[in-house]
Amino acid sequence: MGANNEEYIVEMRHITKRFPGIIANDDVTIQVKKGEIYALLGENGAGKSTLMSMLYGLYEPDHGEIYVRGEKVEFKSPAEAAAKNIGMVHQHFKLVDNYTVGENIVLGIEPMKKALGIFPYVDMKEANEKIRTLSKEYGLEVNPTDLISDINVSIRQRVEIMKMLYREAEILIFDEPTAILTPQEVEYLLKIMLELRKGGKTIILITHKIEEIKKVADRCAILRRGRLIDILDVPTTSTQEMANLMVGRNVELSAVKSEPHFGGVVLSVKDLSVRNEEKVQVVKGISFDVRAGEIFAIAGVSGNGQVELADAITGLEKIESGSVTLLGKEITNESIRTRTESGISYIPEDRQKFGIFMDFSLRDNMAIRRYYKEPFSKKGIFNFAESEAYANNVIDNYDVRSGQGAKTIMRSMSGGNQQKAIVGREIEEHTPLIIFVQPTRGLDMGAIENVHKQILQERDRGAAIVLISLELEEVMNLADTIGVIYNGQLLKIADAGTLTSQDVGRYMMGVTEA
Amino acid sequence: MSKEKKMNEKGFKAWLARFLTNEKWSKLTVPVFCIVLMLIFSSILLLILGKNPFTAFYSFLAGNGFAPKASYGAGSGMLSDFFQFLNIMAPMLLAALAFIFAYRCGLFNIGIAGQMLLSGFVASITVGYMKNLSGVIAKPLVILIGILVGGALGAFVGFLKYRFNIHEVVSTIMINYIISYLTGFYINSKFVDPISRASKVVSAQSRLTYTKVLIGGFYCNVPLGIVLAIVMAFVVHFIFEKTVFGFELRAVGSNRNAARYSGINVGRQIVFSMMLSGVLAGLAGVTYYLGFTNQILPKTLAGMGYDAIATALLGNSNPLGAILSSMLITLFQNGSNYMSSVLGVAKEIASVITGILLLFSACGGYFRYVSAASLDRLADYKHTQEKQEKEAKGGADK
Repeated sequence: MGANNEEYIVEMRHITKRFPGIIANDDVTIQVKKGEIYALLGENGAGKSTLMSMLYGLYEPDHGEIYVRGEKVEFKSPAEAAAKNIGMVHQHFKLVDNYTVGENIVLGIEPMKKALGIFPYVDMKEANEKIRTLSKEYGLEVNPTDLISDINVSIRQRVEIMKMLYREAEILIFDEPTAILTPQEVEYLLKIMLELRKGGKTIILITHKIEEIKKVADRCAILRRGRLIDILDVPTTSTQEMANLMVGRNVELSAVKSEPHFGGVVLSVKDLSVRNEEKVQVVKGISFDVRAGEIFAIAGVSGNGQVELADAITGLEKIESGSVTLLGKEITNESIRTRTESGISYIPEDRQKFGIFMDFSLRDNMAIRRYYKEPFSKKGIFNFAESEAYANNVIDNYDVRSGQGAKTIMRSMSGGNQQKAIVGREIEEHTPLIIFVQPTRGLDMGAIENVHKQILQERDRGAAIVLISLELEEVMNLADTIGVIYNGQLLKIADAGTLTSQDVGRYMMGVTEA
Repeated sequence: MSKEKKMNEKGFKAWLARFLTNEKWSKLTVPVFCIVLMLIFSSILLLILGKNPFTAFYSFLAGNGFAPKASYGAGSGMLSDFFQFLNIMAPMLLAALAFIFAYRCGLFNIGIAGQMLLSGFVASITVGYMKNLSGVIAKPLVILIGILVGGALGAFVGFLKYRFNIHEVVSTIMINYIISYLTGFYINSKFVDPISRASKVVSAQSRLTYTKVLIGGFYCNVPLGIVLAIVMAFVVHFIFEKTVFGFELRAVGSNRNAARYSGINVGRQIVFSMMLSGVLAGLAGVTYYLGFTNQILPKTLAGMGYDAIATALLGNSNPLGAILSSMLITLFQNGSNYMSSVLGVAKEIASVITGILLLFSACGGYFRYVSAASLDRLADYKHTQEKQEKEAKGGADK
């Protein structure tokens, strides 16, 4: 590579980074022009986040060099990167819950004033003014006096973006920014990105969602298993082409579904109501039946009671009134274990909070549905050979990638692989009822394709499936019956064939008349 | 590359990194490394004080019967010192196990001192003061009382947490005070020995330590507690590593939500875990108050109940690790008297040395991380060098 090219604002040359048992980046070179939206596309664990963490100063590369504005840099901390006007919006927000939006934004660089010339205090008035100006400039709506705990994820993300703008960041890194957003919120965010580009900012977008790249990005680098596969000009490349390059083989973009064969009613929910911890009624008298061999998809915007509904069926949430009947047996007041034993599998929405033990090995995590039964244990004493063999089985069948096989500690695995492991564990039970909540959240295309196939396989086997998803496309692709949830109520239940995605979208917004 | 670091895969640094990251042995090598660091740093401290560190460490060993002292009193010798060491180590190990048992389930049992005191007190005033009871009956009875009282107290704390969501740290601290003053009141009003101002001594039959046993010409205090403690360490280890019950306790400790999701009855496991932690603390109590000592100082909680927390953490909160860590901590605590008299330094210096040890052991995870990272860099360096060599060769061929 020749002399430093003025054209590029960021250059990362021959970057190599290792973690125990894995090469996260292997000789990766990317060059980002000033004022462009540069996308990093790749599956989970392809090394996108690691690469950007080095640009942001969280890690140091083992090999290779980083240039910012033609000048060689060696960041030892995010503060040094911030000094070069680099900012990053992380997948998991770093905000103080009981501070206001404004306080969070100025945290660390508070504008100080002195009252009576001696008593120092933080001048929030001035800060809030500056935030409001920035807010107008980029169309980024935030109210600086709101408490973080009172605002939703999408606005929290705006606060994170505002934090960077307030610090006068020129190079903005977004790490999977749309993973947690509803379709409308995604649109809004993409609009903001274009707005930022107009304002002269350079944006690096980490994602595995090709549609988003197609909508906003100028160029796109594709990573696969730590290596740079290709750098593409986005407007001239097709979606299918990008998908194939990312996964490394041909991908079916939508699942192929066979004709349904419905059996008897497996799950029957009657007038179910649930109050959450704050005593607010979040599920309000919901009734529906799910038959064997049927995928009952519940569509809805996040936070309309769908998670509480699933928790109530599985027993994690207390039922206020109504009943849940499984295979003709009422389980409304049974314990969680009794319910799962009578035939429920559950892939929860928050996988790290509910689905797995982060500090346990993959082996132990795969066994949590069966550990207390023979042959996994006898008379209360484990037979680890059994659980290890079982874990290896799940690892093979569900393509769970980990550093050290069954011995791997869950925490060291990527989020996508954790999810694959949970999905595998629950499907392997082959229970009469399987509840999926956001089963493909955070998964890449190859893995999504797999999970969809497995859901359909289970349905064809004769399982009743409740699929709760925020992805309208997923609902439309898989569902036999669609229920739309809005504000704790099922506004509409209908055969999937009779509804268009526009219809569903309308019901999701709470509009009932056609 | 501008800053090519020289790397040597055979150098001392690489060797040390491999030593610390060895998968099979790192559980042992890291604490050993911590202890070596402690020895180095406390030596520096002693040198600053103008004392010979070798004399100091030797006197720690001699104070515990691991090495001969310069002179002994009549009827005592190395063996007597060693048995005295075991006498203190026994309750220390049991108390550390008590902490571990709750800790693995995500609970912080600060009440070990109180649980020890109450079980020791109840055992003293019942079996301990009973005349004409043969040792064969009295000793098992004392152990049983330790188990029952400690267990009941622990279960109570667990119940408070389960039923009323009262944090165990708060409730145990309060209960510690209540027990301390309540037992103090009863001892002072009913069971006090007017000369020693402590409670009256318990009968020799009920005491878990055989005093003045003649072994090899020396009078030794032989503790039964040490056998009990070591057996319990293996039992606790077995429970956590091999049983479904232990797995569920660890599951609750690791992630309460996921434990609920897996169908584990979280509340019941919390009560069980606290109860069994209390049982171990109760055993520590009876081996302490009816073993190591034979009377109770009113209104005084045993410092051991708190030292046990540090001991447990030094042992990686592993029951078998606790055997070694309680040995080590006891070695320094019990040996401090003799060390200070030999060297002529304050007794507190021994506490400082124990503190240094705990400080370094807290860094154990960091040492492991740093060495793993440096090994990775080494592997990477080798990898690229080979690649460059290949490329150079390829270029020559063309």
